Amino acid sequence: MTKLIKIKIFSVITFFIIINNVFASSFSAEKDFVSNFADSAINILSDNEILEGEKNSKFTDLVMSAIDLNLISKFVLSKTWKNATDDQKERYIQAFKDYFINSYANKLDQYSGEQVEVVDAEEAGKYVIVNSFIYREGTDTLKINLKWRLLNRDNEIKIIDLNIEGISLIIAQREEFQSFLANNEGDLEKLIEKIVSVSN
Amino acid sequence: MKIRVLLSILLCLFIFIGCSSNKSELTTNLDQVQIERVNDPFEPVNRAIFSFNNVFDRAVLRPISIFYRSIVPEFIRNRITYSLSNLSMPITAVNNLLQGELRKAGVSTSRFLINSTIGLLGFFDPASSLGLESENEDFGQTLSVWGVPSGPYVVLPFLGPSNPRDFTGLLSTSLLDPMYQVGGGSTTDNLRYYRMGTGAVDFRSQNLEIFDDLQNNSIDYYAAVRSFYSQSRESQAANNMEESSFEDENDIFDDFDLDDSYVGPDIEILYD
Repeated sequence: MTKLIKIKIFSVITFFIIINNVFASSFSAEKDFVSNFADSAINILSDNEILEGEKNSKFTDLVMSAIDLNLISKFVLSKTWKNATDDQKERYIQAFKDYFINSYANKLDQYSGEQVEVVDAEEAGKYVIVNSFIYREGTDTLKINLKWRLLNRDNEIKIIDLNIEGISLIIAQREEFQSFLANNEGDLEKLIEKIVSVSN
Repeated sequence: MKIRVLLSILLCLFIFIGCSSNKSELTTNLDQVQIERVNDPFEPVNRAIFSFNNVFDRAVLRPISIFYRSIVPEFIRNRITYSLSNLSMPITAVNNLLQGELRKAGVSTSRFLINSTIGLLGFFDPASSLGLESENEDFGQTLSVWGVPSGPYVVLPFLGPSNPRDFTGLLSTSLLDPMYQVGGGSTTDNLRYYRMGTGAVDFRSQNLEIFDDLQNNSIDYYAAVRSFYSQSRESQAANNMEESSFEDENDIFDDFDLDDSYVGPDIEILYD
């Protein structure tokens, strides 16, 4: 009888250990993806040997390979996307891409030793959220919470959104575009024009 | 990704500066296109105050902050950031109590006592090294825990983005502030002025490039700031209610159709 109980206890413990491991290792691909991405980004940003232009292009290559810009473009345009013509879609995506790249161009030298530490990951509908912290140099106890929303399609992982201290960048961008459209008779042409003028 | 620029968004946590770019282009025409999820019935007035705040910022706060950063070394500025954070701990502790968070109230109180003494008047943060970490709480957050809805978005002169709940919280915070209650003498008054005045400059100087970038890169800066403020307060409220702050956000993303209906042409990336 006691032997049976022992076996039972043993199997329960084994079960929990296995479950634990399954959960601990879940989304490890996503977590690795974020760590690798952050490492590569920091490598480029902290490289003072290369010229500004080269830094920019390296960084852009890295970012473009890691995010799903088409999906992001569509998401921020929301309902307006559905009514756009193919020509408008094409021009909008090009404009948004330039705008996106321009938003960090010439600012890469402002990097001052921030580090990213991946904490854990959780499922969120179709997506996986990886939780991380950014530490700022000189203020080691002031850390910034950064969540990465990733989409894993056929083992190809892409960044869809970043959430900084509760603020989703993509949702903010979307509200900005929606507000502009609301104040401009919903005219996509005006939005494209505005995006182009801001990026130049 | 563009870490420094992203850090920038942090600023929104305490934003009280408004700016508006290209306001002339924005005639308010809310009826024409429905904006999702945005509670901003006073948008025309808000935009006007936002521009006013921007002018004030350009004329006063930004120049002072640039001056402050150019004459005060980084080490000292970091100490000031810590001391400001320490001075807000009593408010946090009171709000922890009002939210029924006894343990957190204990942590906040201990933090204040340790950092004010061993931490040399709060200029250093030994409490965090001891594992005593806490997040700032204000009365607006307490009201949200009590179930008070935020109400519509409003922009206050000088103070920036707010809403009726947070504004009530702001007014009450002065009354609940232990420094206001206890002393009343000149020392505590001076500390409160230090916290307010230096707080504004400290915050602004930490975010100089960030504000400039944000303003220059915005399609609609007013809407960007509104989104940052609302999202940030919602997420803080959700944290206090111990809900997943991602619920709303997940809904938005889940509604989004992931199909590849248009994958775009393979666009050449241009650098300059």
